[in-house]
Amino acid sequence: MQFKLKENRIRAKKEFEMIKITEEVRRFIRESGVKNGICYVISEHTTTGITVNESLPCVEDDLMEFLDRIAPEDFEYNHNHYLPTYGTIGGNAPGHIKSLLTGISVNFPIIDGELKLGHAADIYFCEYDGIKDRHYMIYIMGE
Amino acid sequence: MVIDTHIRPALFSPICRDKESFKRRCDNMNYHLMGPASIDLLKEQYALAGIEKVFLLPSDCSFDTGKADISNDDIALLVSEAPEMFIGFASADPRNQNAQENLEKAFSELKLEGLYINTARLQIEPYDKNLYRLYEICKKYNKPIIFHCGLSLETNAISSYAKPADFERVFRDFPETNICLTHMGWPWVQETAAMLLKYPNAYSSTALMNFDGPYQIFRKVFTEDMGKLWVEHNIADKIMFGSGSPRIRPVRSFRGLDSLGFSEKVKEKIYYRNALRFLRSESTDAV
Repeated sequence: MQFKLKENRIRAKKEFEMIKITEEVRRFIRESGVKNGICYVISEHTTTGITVNESLPCVEDDLMEFLDRIAPEDFEYNHNHYLPTYGTIGGNAPGHIKSLLTGISVNFPIIDGELKLGHAADIYFCEYDGIKDRHYMIYIMGE
Repeated sequence: MVIDTHIRPALFSPICRDKESFKRRCDNMNYHLMGPASIDLLKEQYALAGIEKVFLLPSDCSFDTGKADISNDDIALLVSEAPEMFIGFASADPRNQNAQENLEKAFSELKLEGLYINTARLQIEPYDKNLYRLYEICKKYNKPIIFHCGLSLETNAISSYAKPADFERVFRDFPETNICLTHMGWPWVQETAAMLLKYPNAYSSTALMNFDGPYQIFRKVFTEDMGKLWVEHNIADKIMFGSGSPRIRPVRSFRGLDSLGFSEKVKEKIYYRNALRFLRSESTDAV
């Protein structure tokens, strides 16, 4: 059994953005040499998400706009207050909520050295509190 | 265009290389659990709010701390990294014997654009005779002054030294010097408005990050603490956008202010025109 970890840095171009990372995951699987196993993709942050969906701009827009309706910027969130532990105002409650709704990880099988993914599916890193330098992990277990 | 007139560059990576200095600065200025950010990342964050120019404000209480938390040299270094964007302000702890010399150098050699003073951190009155010597230098070089005003969240700061009305003598004694009271002087907002109404050289900036989110605090200050039409009808020429970063993300501060629904003419003034006039010490146009 092999265990392989890679941390990728990522920076969105917008404050809120879905960024396709499928190719980065496929590339690391090939580099790992693992033929059969499982691959986890995990965000290291609490105002981002990792998800799978169809890579169409209209779908991406619908998803992000729907999340905005669930967690609008101007709602009176409990988190919007002075945080002595930071010395700042908590202003990213929508990002935390969207992260909860999306989840921060996905996992897929590796079969014959390739990611086993549905034909319409792509893996996304979702930025809900940008622009920041972010990291996500690709963790592979297998033989 | 938007000019952010209130950014403390405590977390700008080019001046965070020494870990001990960085920790001391963050402890003194009350910033925690945040790491340095690169200039290119900051530029991308500012662009989200259309911010093209930024006032960088220093921090010098070196009489107490031994070393300025953000020195004039730090500010000059940052300006050199992005001179098209950064407008550097100087500081000098008036309790130091070489304060006047340092300020002269900041203007004449480092080419910094104005003076920033936090009387709450210094714990001296705005009309202290040692401060007046610094104001005289600003007058000589035709440089504006930005005062921290209102509640200071910095460690070991006493906010009663920064009440808006206590700056009135300075407005009166230096009528040709543009002077900004930051944070709308919160919580003494009406005192700040009174200074803006009376003195042609008085300005304020919008950095508000005390209670609630940006949508709520801006509405409270600009439509409840002040009359709803005070800005539109009286003091539109006197208020400059300032985020107060890093206590709040500039784009969030901008969204909060923008949500108030000021007229386009007033927004232009707040977002950049007043800041340009403040820097150049041009005469104030009537609203």
